[in-house]
Amino acid sequence: MTLIGCRLSCIGLLNRGQRNIHMFSNTAPSNWNKVVSDAEKIVGYPTSFMSLRCLLSDELSNVAMHVRKLVGTKHPLLNTARGFIYDSRNNLQMRGLVVLLMSKAAGPSQNTASDLISQDMVCGIYPSQRNLAEITELIHTAFLVHRGVVNLKEWTNSDGPLKDMQFGNKMAVLSGDFLLANACTGLAQLKNTKVLGLISSAIGDLVQGIYHEMPNSLEENSLTEDINMVTWEERTFLSHGALLAKSCQAAMELAKHDKDAQRLAYEYGKHLSLGHKLNSDLQPFMKSGSADGETFSLDSAPVVLHRQIIGQKRWRHQLQQAKTIGRQMDYAKLRSTIKLEGGVTSTMDLCRFHSSKALESIQRFPSSKARSALENIASAVTNF
Amino acid sequence: MNMAIQWRYCRKWFTGTRNLLEALDFFNGRFIKFSVYFNRGTGPVPGFGKMGLSSKYLFTSYLHSSILTRHKSRLPYLRFSPVCSNRIHSDAKLQDPFFLAQKDLNNFYDDIRKELFVSKSELNSLCDYYFDGTGKAFRPMVAVLMGRACNIHNNKSGDLLPDQRSVAMISEMIHTASLVHDDVIDGSDRRRGKSTINDVWGEQKAILAGDFILSVASMALARIGNDSVVSVLSQVIDDLVRGEFMQLGSKEKEDERFKHYLEKTFKKTASLIANTCKAVSFLGSIDPDVHEIAYQYGRNVGIAFQLVDDVLDFTSCASQLGKPSATDLRLGLATGPVLFACQQFPELDAMIMRRFSSRGDVDLAWQYVLESDGVDQTNFLAQRYCQEAIRQVSLLHPSPERDALIRLTEMVLTRDK
Repeated sequence: MTLIGCRLSCIGLLNRGQRNIHMFSNTAPSNWNKVVSDAEKIVGYPTSFMSLRCLLSDELSNVAMHVRKLVGTKHPLLNTARGFIYDSRNNLQMRGLVVLLMSKAAGPSQNTASDLISQDMVCGIYPSQRNLAEITELIHTAFLVHRGVVNLKEWTNSDGPLKDMQFGNKMAVLSGDFLLANACTGLAQLKNTKVLGLISSAIGDLVQGIYHEMPNSLEENSLTEDINMVTWEERTFLSHGALLAKSCQAAMELAKHDKDAQRLAYEYGKHLSLGHKLNSDLQPFMKSGSADGETFSLDSAPVVLHRQIIGQKRWRHQLQQAKTIGRQMDYAKLRSTIKLEGGVTSTMDLCRFHSSKALESIQRFPSSKARSALENIASAVTNF
Repeated sequence: MNMAIQWRYCRKWFTGTRNLLEALDFFNGRFIKFSVYFNRGTGPVPGFGKMGLSSKYLFTSYLHSSILTRHKSRLPYLRFSPVCSNRIHSDAKLQDPFFLAQKDLNNFYDDIRKELFVSKSELNSLCDYYFDGTGKAFRPMVAVLMGRACNIHNNKSGDLLPDQRSVAMISEMIHTASLVHDDVIDGSDRRRGKSTINDVWGEQKAILAGDFILSVASMALARIGNDSVVSVLSQVIDDLVRGEFMQLGSKEKEDERFKHYLEKTFKKTASLIANTCKAVSFLGSIDPDVHEIAYQYGRNVGIAFQLVDDVLDFTSCASQLGKPSATDLRLGLATGPVLFACQQFPELDAMIMRRFSSRGDVDLAWQYVLESDGVDQTNFLAQRYCQEAIRQVSLLHPSPERDALIRLTEMVLTRDK
C-alpha cells in the first residue's frame, strides 16, 4: 500500500515538470492522436502494454522512489520518466499498436500443420503476438532510458553536483537493464528461436543506430562528415526502423504466416518508420516565425538533402555565414537559407514515397478494419 | 597467444598454492559463536544440515596462528571433509582443469570477437575491449568441462558439441556485458589492470556497448535453436539485474541481511555459472538428474566463488585483484566478512545501516573485520559450498573432466586474484 502511494506521489512530482520527450517522434501531426485512438479500439484493449508485472515490480518501485531524489537536478532520466508517464496515459505506444494491428490484419494462421488454435485468439490476435507487442515496447523504452545516461567527464560544476549525475546514471542503467531483462525473458517464453533471433538483431541494430547519433570526439565532425541520403537512410533504419520492421515480421512468424507475408510486414514497418522520421525531421522547417529559436540537427533529412543539392562547397560557405561572431550557430538564419532551396520539398517527396510504399506493402492482406487502421497510420505521416 | 600466457600463469599460481597447502596440515579447532541464517531462496547452506539447523554453535577450524596474521597472502584453507576425498582426491588422479579445457578454448576470444564484429569501428573496439584474453576465463572453463563430463556420463563420447561451446561463449558474453554496466553503476575506473570502458569512452557509449554485447549473445543463443537453453540463459540475464537491484537496499534485521546477501550472491554470480552448466547439460543429456547435478554444481561453485571474492576484497592488496581493495565497503556494500564480523562487533550494525557513508566508516569497518573472525567464517562457508559442489558432481560417471571440476573447487578457494 505504501509502495503504491509512493509511486503515485512520484508520478505527481514528475508530471509537474514540462514534458519534452515523445514516444515516437519529436512532433506529432495534429490528427495523429485521432488515428491512433481509432486504431486502438480495433485491437481490443488500450495500448498501455508496459506490463503491470513490470510497473508493479519491487524493482521499478525502488527506482521510482530513488528518481524522486533527482527532482531538481538536470539528469535526463527525469525527462524520460515524465515522458513515459505522460505517454502511457495518452496511449502513444505506437510500436506495440502497429504490431497488434499487423497481427490482426494478417489474420489466423493458414498453416494447418501449426499447433496454433484460433480459439486462443482475442480480438483476432494470438496471445504470443500480444506478448511480442509488449516486448517491442519494453525494448523501445529501455533504450529511451539508456539514451539518457550522461557522460560524467563532460559534466561541469556549474551544471550541478556530480553526485546527482552519478546517481541518475545508476538509476538509468539499472532501470533500462531491468526492462531489457524482462524483454529477454518474455522472448524466451515465446519459445520461437526465429523470433528471438529477429528481435535480438533489432536490439543490435538499435544500438548501432543510437551509436551513430552520438557526437564524435571531434566537434566539427558531423559538419564535415559527408553523410549522403544513402547513409542517412541506413542509419535511420537502424535507429528508428529496425525494431518496428522486425517486430512486424516476427508477429507474422508467430502466426506461422509464410515468408511473403513476413517480408510485407517487414516492409510496412520499415517504410512507416522512415516516413515518420522524415516527418519529424521536417517539423522545424514547417512552422513560420514562432519557432525561430528552435535548433535542428545538421544530420536531419532536410539538411542532408539540402547539402546534397547545393554541394559541399556552397554548404560550407553557408555554414560560415550562419555563424555569429561568438562562433555560435544562428539556427534561424541557417533555416531560412535552407528553406530557399529544394531540400525541404525533396524531403516531403521522400516522405510521401515511404508512406506510399508502406501502403502498398499491406495491400495483399485482406481488407479489414485493422488494415484500414494501418493505412490511416501510413497516410498520417504525410501530414506536415 | 595471449591466452596461452594466461594459462601458464594460472597454472603457476595453482601449483604454488598447492605446495603451500600441503604444508598446512596443522589446525587448531575451537568453538566460536556465530549464527548462520538459512536462505530459502538459494537453498540451504550445504553441510550445515547434518549439524542441526537449530544449533547456533558451529564447529569451525582455525589456521595455525602464524598464518592467521598473514591475511593478505593466502586464504586460510581447510582440508575437505572425507566425504569424497578418500575416493577421488588423490593428486595422481586429479586432472588439471586448465590443461583439459584448453583444447576447447583455443581461439575462444577470437571467435567471440568475430561474433561481435560490426562495421562501425569504434563500437567494435569497445566491444572487443575485455575479450583480449587476459580474463581468467573461469566461466568458459567450467562450461566446457561440464559439457564434456555430461557427454561422457551420457554416451561415453567425451567430445564437446559445437553448441556447447557456443553456450560457453554466450555465457562469457553475458558476463562481460554485465561487467561493463556494473562499472558504470559503481563508477569504477579500473578493471583487470586497465581503464574501464566508461573511463575511456564515457558512460553513454559504455552502456551501448554492454547492450550490444548482450544482443549478440542473444542472437547466438537463438542460433542454437533450443528453447530450454534459451530459457535458462535468459533467466541469467534477469537474475543479474535483480541481483544488482538487491544491492541498492539494505535490510535492518540481521537474519534478513544474511539471507539477502546469499540471495544476491546467487543472482549476481552463481546464477550465470549454474544455468550455464545446466544449458550445456541440456545439450549433452536428456536425463533430468544430470541437469540438476550440473545446475547444483554450478550454483555451489558460483556462490563459493563470490564468497572468496568478497574475502579477497579485504585480504588482497590493490595490485593483486586489479582493483583497490575494500571496494565493497566504499560502495556501501556489506558482504560476508562484514556480516560475520557484525556478530562479534555490534558496533558495525549502525555502519551497515548507513552504508558506511560517514567519515571514517570504511577504515573502521575494515579494522573490525580484520580483528574479527569474519574472513575465516566466510572462507569456511565457501568451503562448505565447494564440498556440496564436489558431492554433486561426483554423482556423474568418472571422467578426467569430472575430476577437473572437482579440482576446480580447490582453485576457487585458494585463488588470490
